[in-house]
Amino acid sequence: MRHILKFVSLLLVASLVLTACALAPPAPVDEPAAAAPSADGEKIIYLGAAVSETGRFSREGKDTRQGYGLWLDWVNNEYGGIKVGDDRYKVELIMYDDEGDPDTAARLVEKLINEDRVDFLLGPYSSFLTQSASAIAEKYGKIMIEGNGAAQPLFERGFQNLFAVLTPALNYTRSALQLLSERGAKTVVIAYEDTAFPTSVADGAQQWAAEFGLEVLGVETYPVNVADVSGIMSKFKELEPDIFVGGGHFNDAVLFIRAAKELDFNPKAMVITVGPSNPKLIEEVGADTEYVIGPTQWEASMSYADGYFGTAAEYAARYEDFWGEPPTYQAAESTATALALHIAIEEAASLDTDAVRTALRNLDVVTFYGPINFDEKGRNAAKPMGAIQIQNGEILVVAPTNAAVAELNYPAPPWKDR
Amino acid sequence: MDQLLQALVSGILLGGFYAVMVLGFSVIWGVMGVINLAHGEFLMIGAYMAWGLFRLFGMDPFASLVLILPLMFLVGYLLQIVLINRIVERPHLMTLLVTFGVSIALANLFKIQFTSDPRNVAVAYNGSVQLAGVTFPIVKTIIFGAAMLIMVCLHLFLQRTRLGKSIRAAAQNKTAARIVGVDINRVYAITAGICIALTAAAGAMLSPTQAIFPFMGPPFTLKAVTITALGGLGRIPGALMGGMVLGVTEIFVSTYVPGIGTNLGVATSFVLLVLILVVRPQGLMGGLRPIDAEAE
Repeated sequence: MRHILKFVSLLLVASLVLTACALAPPAPVDEPAAAAPSADGEKIIYLGAAVSETGRFSREGKDTRQGYGLWLDWVNNEYGGIKVGDDRYKVELIMYDDEGDPDTAARLVEKLINEDRVDFLLGPYSSFLTQSASAIAEKYGKIMIEGNGAAQPLFERGFQNLFAVLTPALNYTRSALQLLSERGAKTVVIAYEDTAFPTSVADGAQQWAAEFGLEVLGVETYPVNVADVSGIMSKFKELEPDIFVGGGHFNDAVLFIRAAKELDFNPKAMVITVGPSNPKLIEEVGADTEYVIGPTQWEASMSYADGYFGTAAEYAARYEDFWGEPPTYQAAESTATALALHIAIEEAASLDTDAVRTALRNLDVVTFYGPINFDEKGRNAAKPMGAIQIQNGEILVVAPTNAAVAELNYPAPPWKDR
Repeated sequence: MDQLLQALVSGILLGGFYAVMVLGFSVIWGVMGVINLAHGEFLMIGAYMAWGLFRLFGMDPFASLVLILPLMFLVGYLLQIVLINRIVERPHLMTLLVTFGVSIALANLFKIQFTSDPRNVAVAYNGSVQLAGVTFPIVKTIIFGAAMLIMVCLHLFLQRTRLGKSIRAAAQNKTAARIVGVDINRVYAITAGICIALTAAAGAMLSPTQAIFPFMGPPFTLKAVTITALGGLGRIPGALMGGMVLGVTEIFVSTYVPGIGTNLGVATSFVLLVLILVVRPQGLMGGLRPIDAEAE
């Protein structure tokens, strides 16, 4: 008995230590916090964001930071500051590391509002974190504009201050499933992480499957930080589906592809969210990524353009020049997020929250990232979702047809014939 | 039937990996009474080393063990002398604080050095072979074989060699070991060296099957706690059994529970942990209790 108590109390101590560390105030990163206008009388708009630098979203968080950072550099150094009436405002962006933890994200947003006194908020990476961060913004009546939280539940809470420039998660698999059904696919299986964004993707996938006449043979969920998906894949192998849909984040894409090959599970098409549109997946996983299909919010080859960053391709070139790596769509949508806020402030000709909110509601523009036009729930309903396929180590847009640069390769050959 | 056999094979293969993964954790705990919260980070380091050697020299992750084992032995040896020896016979809270600090420092150092981009070792032979209607993933089968080999070697080392015996002596009764002339600090340093080397080796073997990133460690540390509770401190057969029980249970639950199987599979390890602590606090095989009550 003594030993149970000892062990349990040890565990308790361990968890206390963990919590204490999680509660310790995190140091600000990148920009120093500054609340007063600068000394030389320059007018400044303060923006704030909690974005993962460490933790499970550190990769995608980095893209988000870089996307914001590119806009920040451009608006201050090239564009000359945001025009508000006759004035030009420089922008200062205060970013903290939310460590991939929703409670930390919420606490940091509260700090940004109460201590750093920011004027507007930009979103974190992932629906998971946007969920809690946006609730704080709503509580204080601060506008949060985001480009990295697409899950349906975010927009079902009646929030007045949350705006998202990206295509909602329900539509992620639409163009891919439509194209695959046209090419003769009949059956589909779906595996997804049981958090907000992948759940919405999977709900959407089931809706679109029904709409395009695909039979759903199986649906499986898995938890965050899963280390092994072979249980799911061996179950799906028995079902012999035409299409495998995997909803998750970057690391999950690695697991799905590895497990499918190891278990000799041969769907005719694999549609996986987030991972495939990132060139890093090909770099790390290699030839096994061939034929994998992924939804994409944006690709540099798409034919959108605006008067700020030019065409999508010009944006990509600018980004690569600045950061030394090509932009992922997560980076592009983050730049577009800041740009949408920028345009709305100029339209409103005011920094007043109500005026900017009205301007956001009425916004109807086309940017390098695609059309932006918020519906009554704050979603960008105007933008269609694309689909890419990895062909010969390249990420090529295969849907929708007007943006496609390559023909879909379907069906994918079995692993042993590759 | 096929599915049953497949689940069993997958579970045993996973269990073999768990068993070798947990050895370093459970031996350090058993011998020194140090709960190494940085366990998962040493696994991560091993995985990164395998990745680096693969990227730079095209070295196979299993071949790279030849380099990783001695190098990480040295790292463990030095870590023990510099840091852990200072906290070994102190209250448990100290060891938790120090190893937790090490884990945060390591994860973030690796983030700074390698960024948080997920890495993977893409070996050419990562397919599968069919045998009697069951699919054997090639990499996981090799991991299983290597895990068994490592465990047999460690078992023989601990049972047969003089050094191994002094490690066991130190685990059983520090005072008595000191009296008969065992240099406890040296034994501890060697034990730490072996354990860190084994943990890194497990990470290196894992590198072709998973995404490698700086924050991959903590889930492994948690699993190591569960398996140690199942199998007992510092016992190789116990680690093997604990690993197997966890591996097979996880795969069975995820195969046979529709829809939410994988979720439950992960929860399994924690349900097991609680059950064991309630029903058999001494662990399934004699367990968490150090052999010498004084040693705590």
